[in-house]
Amino acid sequence: MKKKFISLLVTAAMAATLLAGCGGKTEEPAAPAETETPAEEETPAEPEAPAEAETPAEEEAPADGAANYDGVTLTMWSMWSNTEPQGKVLQEAADAFSAQTGATVNIEWKGRDLKTIIVTALEANENVDIFEEDYQRIASTYSEFCLDVTDMAEAAGYSDFGFQCFVDQQKEWCGAFNSIAEQPQVGGIFYNKDIFEAAGITTLPTTWDEFLTACQAMVDAGFEPMALDDAYCDFALAYHLSRHVGQEALGELSLNGGWGENEQIIKGAQELIDFVNAGYLESGAPGAFPESQNKIGLTEKVAMIVCANYVCAEVNNNTGSNINWGLMNYPAVEGGADSSNAYAGANSLAISKNCANPQAAFDFIMFLTTGEFDQKMADGASQIPADSRNTAPAIMDGTVETLLATNAPLKWNMGLTDNSDLGPQFKDVAIKLFEGGFKTGEEFAAAMDALY
Amino acid sequence: MKKNKGMILAFSLPLTFALIIMYLYPVARTVLMSFFKIESVTASLSSWSFFGFGNYAKIYGSPTFQDSLKNMGVIWLIGGIITLTLALLFAVILTSGVRFKKFFRAAIYLPNVISAVALATMWVQYVYSNDYGMLNKLLEFFGLDGVKWLSSDNKFWAMLFAYIFGAVGYYMLIFISGIERIPGDLYEAATIDGANKVQQFFKITLPLLKGIIKTNITFYSVHTTAFFLWTKMFSPVGTEASTIVPVVYLYDTVFGSTGNTARDAGAGAAVGVTLTMIIVLVYFVMNKVLKDDDLEF
Amino acid sequence: MARSKKERKMRDPWNWSKELRLLPGYLIVIIWIGFTATFLCWILGASLSTAKEIFSGKVFAFESGIHWENYASAWQAQNVAKFFGNSLLYAVTACIGTLLISAPGAYVLSRFEFFANKSLKSSLIIAMSVPGVMIIMPIFALTTRLGIKGRILLILLYILMHVPSTTTYLLNFFATLSKTYEEAAAIDGCPPGKTFWVIMLPLVQPAIITVTIFNFLGVWNEFFMALIFASSADMTPVGVGLLQIVNAMKYTGDYGGLFAAVVIVFLPTFLLYIFLSEKIIAGVTGGGIKG
Repeated sequence: MKKKFISLLVTAAMAATLLAGCGGKTEEPAAPAETETPAEEETPAEPEAPAEAETPAEEEAPADGAANYDGVTLTMWSMWSNTEPQGKVLQEAADAFSAQTGATVNIEWKGRDLKTIIVTALEANENVDIFEEDYQRIASTYSEFCLDVTDMAEAAGYSDFGFQCFVDQQKEWCGAFNSIAEQPQVGGIFYNKDIFEAAGITTLPTTWDEFLTACQAMVDAGFEPMALDDAYCDFALAYHLSRHVGQEALGELSLNGGWGENEQIIKGAQELIDFVNAGYLESGAPGAFPESQNKIGLTEKVAMIVCANYVCAEVNNNTGSNINWGLMNYPAVEGGADSSNAYAGANSLAISKNCANPQAAFDFIMFLTTGEFDQKMADGASQIPADSRNTAPAIMDGTVETLLATNAPLKWNMGLTDNSDLGPQFKDVAIKLFEGGFKTGEEFAAAMDALY
Repeated sequence: MKKNKGMILAFSLPLTFALIIMYLYPVARTVLMSFFKIESVTASLSSWSFFGFGNYAKIYGSPTFQDSLKNMGVIWLIGGIITLTLALLFAVILTSGVRFKKFFRAAIYLPNVISAVALATMWVQYVYSNDYGMLNKLLEFFGLDGVKWLSSDNKFWAMLFAYIFGAVGYYMLIFISGIERIPGDLYEAATIDGANKVQQFFKITLPLLKGIIKTNITFYSVHTTAFFLWTKMFSPVGTEASTIVPVVYLYDTVFGSTGNTARDAGAGAAVGVTLTMIIVLVYFVMNKVLKDDDLEF
Repeated sequence: MARSKKERKMRDPWNWSKELRLLPGYLIVIIWIGFTATFLCWILGASLSTAKEIFSGKVFAFESGIHWENYASAWQAQNVAKFFGNSLLYAVTACIGTLLISAPGAYVLSRFEFFANKSLKSSLIIAMSVPGVMIIMPIFALTTRLGIKGRILLILLYILMHVPSTTTYLLNFFATLSKTYEEAAAIDGCPPGKTFWVIMLPLVQPAIITVTIFNFLGVWNEFFMALIFASSADMTPVGVGLLQIVNAMKYTGDYGGLFAAVVIVFLPTFLLYIFLSEKIIAGVTGGGIKG
């Protein structure tokens, strides 16, 4: 491995001297984007480059050309650790990028605590060029420290293969496009296709009534329809209520109360209470995370779960099973709000404003989020690819389509946690609801209103 | 006395410096921050805007913060009584001349050495588990119905018990180091006078341990205000009101919570100041109640 | 000394009436330890099982055999040996540094009335009770702005972090020492500073050992500060390493590997604990003066 790496370096160095000899520019790019026309004309790079440096044939991808970043050092703070599948692919990509362009990419593994320290680091001008975080937090919390990549993305033709909904959403939040999705997520109802088949469900339910019919069909066939753990009770509740009133109204309610005055909320809560009373929840639900969701794999008798896509890999790994996963969008309710959208989020990559070589940083991000390494990331970690031209691993079947169909992604908890202060209280009420603690929708609404 | 003065200066200076270097700036900053509207915990002074007691009004008006204080109060009072009583009981037993004392001491302290992540996983997945849990298996053995130990009503107590189980060893070690200093001849004399073990405990051990008890209460209080990891482990994805404690509230306020990116470092600082005031109050009340009577031995 | 007399007594032949009197004590302790042992066994069992077995309550059944490979994968996941080395360095230096500051400080605070005595004591309490983030984050911002980094900073912070609790803890132990020791030493012409190091400090041995165990494990298991201040891989201590392994294994559903990693980190820690509490006590108190 090491030898290969060194030989790559040597090749890169040779390519670099070659370029220099030809009068190609080797000095570090000082100004961002516009002045930097990456590389399409200069293509003599690595004629004898070994397998690892072979990027797939996407001509537009700038990383593909021969941008020369000799002497450029990029420092990246990662939210993974180098032992996780994501971290391994990241490191591999960084090595390959170095070999191809001569740039050095130093990755500091900060793990999930990155979110507590990144702002401080950025404020203190710590040497961070690229960092990985949740795209919503980048847009709403760190945007003043992050570079707008609109121009660079346009030059790279990002709109042809990236998920536009994340770009639009960022612009809505902070007026800038400052992070590139790396690991997209999508929410909905994830289900075991085999159970659906065994229960004779041939078309996916799209409305709540159809959904209940499907649930009854599963019960009749000897299955338990829905797994649910305490950790995701608020998510499940919010998904349903947002189908009634929409994300915005739910946010309003969470901030100002008035649940009892909203007919739709009472109706929605009543539907869920009926759902629980009908016995459609798995018998131990709501369990202590991940007790209930694991039953999908352990017993293979539990059919569905409302969560985001990572639940599939979680269940398969935790239970050593190989569930035939599918995804359907959360059903629409009668007289409800627009039901075409799904929860979507992403771990994304942002470039710090202090970055001395934004184009190099951007090229590395593209290198990582398109083509070969994006595919590796998706396959290695059972995730949705960030490059829509890549194929999702089988376990993520249907996710890319759902993402592409989503114009306005829903936030995590669909506005229910807009009131950050009461968030933990809502969660308790949600758990109570699924525990069967409320008899009517009115009772639920009263419990919510009692919190203000 | 002159010689002593030199020593006092030489001995207290490093300590004073240590406090100033590490704590003066952050503590003063935290107190100041609690009166300002600030987003980021390390934002530069120029972005602060004066807010008076607004942060305090905000957190005291928040039912979630009130819940966190209530939970902390229960952990402190009930958890504290159970933990310290058990710790003292074990310390007395282990110093009463039992065999295998070192082994017992190490075994009781052991949970403090294991990573809390593993311990919490063990409690949630094994002890409290609904279907396969140890407790429910025990109940089943006695012909009783299983209990949902981690339902929203029981979760807090389940968490508190798991915490107590791990914490006892720590305070026990402190008690043991205190009891071991009590001269053995005191007990020998008492035995000759015909006092039994229980009388000896109340007449000799307990009075001479007063200072250690104070130390332990101080430490238990400090650890209670810093209670954090267990709540995180018992509510892994997002905070739940039933298990919330002030530091978790502080984290959610300062760094944003799952699904909400709003940050309020000023309110977080107010939480920090509140916690400190509580400890200081406990400390002074305790010093008034348990007066030093200059025992020397 | 009293303790060694007691210890000798323990090697005495069984005295049944005495043991019988202690029976309730034995019972309580053994029940408690029984639970601890069950838990430990479960963790050991889990470290040799698959995730599926852990989540389906079959840890002790070993239906699919004993999975030693969990240990291999946990060991290979990170440079564990190096982490241990780093942690040992941090913990040992921090423990010594903390004691060098705290013990003399606690001594004068507890035995002499002087200007600022009370306010210093209160400052210790305040320093202990301010939430960690409120202290660590500003220091992180400050040191980053000043460009200070590296091992030395981390060790220094570990020392300073443990000073308040260590000092508070030692206060009471010094306070109850009899004045006669100092008076006798003064008559012999021993300067007060020397009296402290030679006579008073050894008298609080058990307390020093206990607090050192706490400090040692505190540094050993710490991860947040290490994560922030030890930025490069060769400065990483066990706490961060374990956290990363645990996260990685959780993500990949390798719960067996997770528990194996926990055991790998736990075992040397526990041996160190035994060593600290037994060998060091025996070695140092052997030369002690009084129990």
